[in-house]
Amino acid sequence: MAQRAVWLISHEPGTPLCGTVRFSRRYPTVEKRARVFNGASYVPIPEDGPFLKALLFELRLLDDDKDFVESRDSCSRINKTSIYGLLIGGEELWPVVAFLKNDIIYACVPLVEQTLSPRPPLISVSGVSQGFEFLFGIQDFLYSGQKNDSELNTKLSQLPDLLLQACPFGTLLDANLQNSLDNTNFASVTQPQKQPAWKTGTYKGKPQVSISITEKVKSMQYDKQGVADTWQVVGTVTCKCDLEGIMPNVTISLNLPTNGSPLQDILVHPCVTSLDSAILTSSSIDAMDDSAFSGPYKFPFTPPLELFNLCYYTSQVPVPPILGFYQMKEEEVQLRITINLKLHESVKNNFEFCEAHIPFYNRGPITHLEYKTSFGQLEVFREKSLLIWIIGQKFPKSMEISLSGTVTFGAKSHEKQPFDPICIGETAYLKLHFRILDYTLTGCYADQHSVQVFASGKPKISAYRKLISSDYYIWNSKAPAPVTYGSLLL
Amino acid sequence: MGPLSRDAWAQRLGAFRASPSAFMAGPEGEDLGRNLLGDLRSEKLSEQTKVSLLALSLEYPAQLWPDVSAAEVAATSLLDTLVLLPPRPSALRRPLLLAATTALAAGGALGPTSGASCRLLPLLLGLASGSDLGRGFVPASEQRPLQATACECLRELESCKPGLLGGSLGLLRGLLGQEGPVQPLSLLLALVLRNTLVLQSRVGAGLGGLLTDKVSPTGGGPWDWTLVEKGDGSLQPQAPSWPAAEEGEGERSLTAREHSPEEARELRAAVIQLLETSYLLTPVAQAQLLWLLGWALRGLQGQPPALFKPQLVRLLGTAQLTLLHAVLALKAAFGEALFTAQDEALLLRRLTLAAQHPALPLPTHLFYLHCLLSFPENWPLGPEGEEAAPLLLGPQLCRGLLPSLLHDPMALLARLHLLCLLCAEDEEEEKGQLPSPRHYLEELLAGLRQRAALDEGPRALATVCFQASYLVTRCLAGQPTVLTPLIHGLAQLYRVRPMLASHFVDFLDQVDSELREPLKVVLRQEVVSRLGRDEALCWHLKMLAKVADGDAQSATLNFLQAAAAHCTNWDLQQGLLRVCRALLRAGVRGGLVDLLQVLARQLEDPDGRDHARLYYILLAHLAGPKLGVALGPSLAPPALASSLVAENQGFVAALMVQEAPALVRLSVGSHGVKGPLPVLKLQPEALEPIYSLELRFRVEGQLYAPLEAVHVPCLCPGRPARPLLLPLQPRCPAPARLDVHALYTTSTGLTCHAHLPPLFVNFADLFLPFPQPPGGAGLGFFEELWDSCLPEGAESRVWCPLGPQGLEGLVSQHLEPFVVVAQPPTSYYVAIHLPPNSKLLLRLEAALPDGVPVALRTDDWAVLPLAGDYLRGLAAAL
Repeated sequence: MAQRAVWLISHEPGTPLCGTVRFSRRYPTVEKRARVFNGASYVPIPEDGPFLKALLFELRLLDDDKDFVESRDSCSRINKTSIYGLLIGGEELWPVVAFLKNDIIYACVPLVEQTLSPRPPLISVSGVSQGFEFLFGIQDFLYSGQKNDSELNTKLSQLPDLLLQACPFGTLLDANLQNSLDNTNFASVTQPQKQPAWKTGTYKGKPQVSISITEKVKSMQYDKQGVADTWQVVGTVTCKCDLEGIMPNVTISLNLPTNGSPLQDILVHPCVTSLDSAILTSSSIDAMDDSAFSGPYKFPFTPPLELFNLCYYTSQVPVPPILGFYQMKEEEVQLRITINLKLHESVKNNFEFCEAHIPFYNRGPITHLEYKTSFGQLEVFREKSLLIWIIGQKFPKSMEISLSGTVTFGAKSHEKQPFDPICIGETAYLKLHFRILDYTLTGCYADQHSVQVFASGKPKISAYRKLISSDYYIWNSKAPAPVTYGSLLL
Repeated sequence: MGPLSRDAWAQRLGAFRASPSAFMAGPEGEDLGRNLLGDLRSEKLSEQTKVSLLALSLEYPAQLWPDVSAAEVAATSLLDTLVLLPPRPSALRRPLLLAATTALAAGGALGPTSGASCRLLPLLLGLASGSDLGRGFVPASEQRPLQATACECLRELESCKPGLLGGSLGLLRGLLGQEGPVQPLSLLLALVLRNTLVLQSRVGAGLGGLLTDKVSPTGGGPWDWTLVEKGDGSLQPQAPSWPAAEEGEGERSLTAREHSPEEARELRAAVIQLLETSYLLTPVAQAQLLWLLGWALRGLQGQPPALFKPQLVRLLGTAQLTLLHAVLALKAAFGEALFTAQDEALLLRRLTLAAQHPALPLPTHLFYLHCLLSFPENWPLGPEGEEAAPLLLGPQLCRGLLPSLLHDPMALLARLHLLCLLCAEDEEEEKGQLPSPRHYLEELLAGLRQRAALDEGPRALATVCFQASYLVTRCLAGQPTVLTPLIHGLAQLYRVRPMLASHFVDFLDQVDSELREPLKVVLRQEVVSRLGRDEALCWHLKMLAKVADGDAQSATLNFLQAAAAHCTNWDLQQGLLRVCRALLRAGVRGGLVDLLQVLARQLEDPDGRDHARLYYILLAHLAGPKLGVALGPSLAPPALASSLVAENQGFVAALMVQEAPALVRLSVGSHGVKGPLPVLKLQPEALEPIYSLELRFRVEGQLYAPLEAVHVPCLCPGRPARPLLLPLQPRCPAPARLDVHALYTTSTGLTCHAHLPPLFVNFADLFLPFPQPPGGAGLGFFEELWDSCLPEGAESRVWCPLGPQGLEGLVSQHLEPFVVVAQPPTSYYVAIHLPPNSKLLLRLEAALPDGVPVALRTDDWAVLPLAGDYLRGLAAAL
């Protein structure tokens, strides 16, 4: 239940090594245990250089994938998790937990407290989930509020001290590194006895609770016989509780209007102290029926100091907010496109913004365009082979808008125009980007009056809502499109 | 040397981190550990720099202090530094404690006889219990953090020496109940409790009063080396992987002693105490606590797993990877005792939704998917250790977990595996289901192939396609409804993108014959149906070398004949010949003879022509089975076939010979001077029995005429072999290096080729005598030769040092056969014939005690330096 070492590597394609080790930390006492536990199958933690090379190779992040390399490309080398075996100096280092995010590779090697041959199943290695949590924690720390490279560098330089707090001996004590930072900055003299380990101090000031619900809606629309359109809402409830006292108790209720769509697949923050079984069992896996639990969804918890995600949920609303069809046909040298979008009447017609991105992959630059649109304006990015239809803040009264036209392309030049393995031939999509403030598709809201706070002083309670599109695709109905199994269930 | 500056240290640490091994091998490596310890007390360095020094010692103690005694010294020095800190807040106390602990634990110095250990342990325990250590040792503001750090240090020491703190169970429990920091104390207590339970049960003892007594009942103090010794000092897995833990179970239950009711009650109280405050711990720490306690209590009488129940609902609701993982560990530890069938179903549902929840990142999804397929079921049906869909995970639950082309490759493969498992299960029932998972699978594979066929697509797309196909064949072997379309789809993929030939070859190597054979047939058809010039010819040849066999000979041969015309470069010709070789092995004869004959004449590259001729000769001379064996990759072919092969030298050298380490040693023996040519006498020696040994020699620099190979029928270790005579035909009289190769057949019938160490022909090895003149005419003969050397030749005088045996000894040892005129012991005239037609004449006269002046003449300028070196070296050679 410990980590032998951890690395942060920046991926730098085009440079000779394709990457640099930005941070590494080894845990020699854990390493000593690894040597004993692993016995003959023990493989030592390599130095940074060889590790970097082996990891980039395994993750296919070296620039040379021209030739077939059996140790990487063989069909029997199947990786189904982010856990790898790295060949280093003829021996295989396993398990290496690693993933790439925002051009940084996060990697660590958990201790396995037994021999590695045969390999134990990953599920039974406790250090694996701890390793993931460790890396996620570092990732959150690096990217929370970070805007540019110099801030990233500052945060990287803080890591050694932070890990001295959060993971002094390889056994992770707190994945929230910000806590450790606050801990080093404000070591409180008179810490009371039952202070939770995840709360580094106490708040002093005006009590206030802020609750914000963000719903993302995703959709795949095909406009095709035999293939069902799909859509799904994913909600995140974020809280910041500024309350005095060591362990103030708060209960937040999420409510739905009478015709609201039930919340499902609810995952809560560990600070939630108890959960109604109806919340625990409400799941999108089951077929929907009228008896589905529709709230109120009560979450009693003891808040941490920082902003946190109280819960996540999904929901299946009856209709997608915008229904569209997209037809694209190749006609000799040009493409003919027709697009129709319709906003559902129940949706608040007041966008912060609304755009349709119409990319053309695996083609040359746009050389010629003729179009007619019933609403909004069209921006053309010739070199990127992209059209952006700016719909604006409101759909017209009819709630329906259309765009049609023909596009001609020049010769392909590989550097500039995007390659896509899916959009081949006439297979194409358009993607909607929109945001509506003070609105949720499910109707879900946090009733300010039902928020219960057991702490001194009456807090000011504020609540926010917004709906954002995410992966909102409308596929060309005149060509094959990638479907999910769910789309075939009519 | 004074302390280094901050910058110097920063530079040094940077260099060290870049490559610790290189740094330690360098000039600064040796002193690094000592300098580091010294500079920690320097007043010139800032605390920040000292923290960075300590950070290094936390990571690389083994490099800084490589042995036990060095680690002990380092820990002592670190403790001294700690004690000497002025009584004001300092950033150094925590890292110093961590560094001293690390040095002792990692350096192997931790033990009852270690002075540093005996100082560190009471210090840590004092800090952990918040007692006053006097002299303002701990400034008030640091008390709390140091208390936590001390607990962490103790936990690390207990991890490395299980049982060490068994005597402080009561103390720790008391601290947790009072005021100590909850998390560090909980984790420490849980670990010590777990280790003590395991160690005590090993020796059949209970916990006794350990949990209640504030002072160790064993009398060993709060730290207890006796308990460590009970565990033989061996490490205890804190969270054992479960199959391993189950194996250990039997052993434990044999020796486990039942706890008395009182012990059981105390133990339960301690566990409840830990669990009840567990929500105060960070999620990762909660998870550790659950793993520790779960496996500690497993199977203990009087400790109902229901203790954990109050925590479960809370944990099941979270999205936290470590917490859900810990719940799975509890599930594995207790099974039905903690999870009823309904609970199991709920856990599976939570896991299923977590594996696809859009709010969670991909690595988490993938890990949950793995957990689903390795789910610790209450009543598992399938074989252990193999991934399978749990019984309760029906198609309905899986719906959202099926793959689509839009998934990342790893997610796609993981989900594809699940889809395959579903297809395998529902063979019967699925007819009514729409859409059928099998149909969906087919569509998906077709989509993957389409992506792999993209001209500009990266190799990763092709790799995923073949990995998916391989996964399908593994899971759904024996299902023709799946395999047949797969085969045809792959053949079509090859048609569109033959440059994936390497992937196909690899795929054929990996899959079972059930798929391999039919796939070979269709791929062969794909290749041979393309006649004439094709840019992908090299790929076709690579493919055909893999799939060509005895079937469809004429089509294959037609293809090859047509292809031969386009094989204009070495690569293509080799590719073509590889196919011929594959056909040879498969026993194809008829048309192949003609093809090989044509190739032997027509190929542009001589190497290609030679190969073709060889194959032709083989085909003409060896019977089918022998040919197969001779060309086969098998390492132990029947002796008969391979001895035949061994005799066919041309073939052996060119074709089926295995590179091997040399099993023969050659040494140069004393040289004989009879006959018209110099002859090298070689003494062979075998390390294993070898047969049909052929030794080939190549003279570097073409100084001699090419040498004949030497043959030895049989050579056995321990049995003296006759010396081999190697006649040399020098083209000029000079020493040379002989490159030696050996070809032989081993007793297993293998024909091997080995490169032996080179042999050196010395200048003296070339010496031949002149025919002896009739008695008494020696002087005249010599003078005649002497005079004939000039004016074309050269003359010189050389000082030849003499050893203790004097001139006479020297001559008799080295020059005896060449002496023409001798007046022992003072004067010798020596005439040496150096083939092909040079002479060297020496007059050795008027020797002094330590040497003799030699007058020499030769008719060949080039010989002069060689002769000089030879003479000067004689004394040394004695």
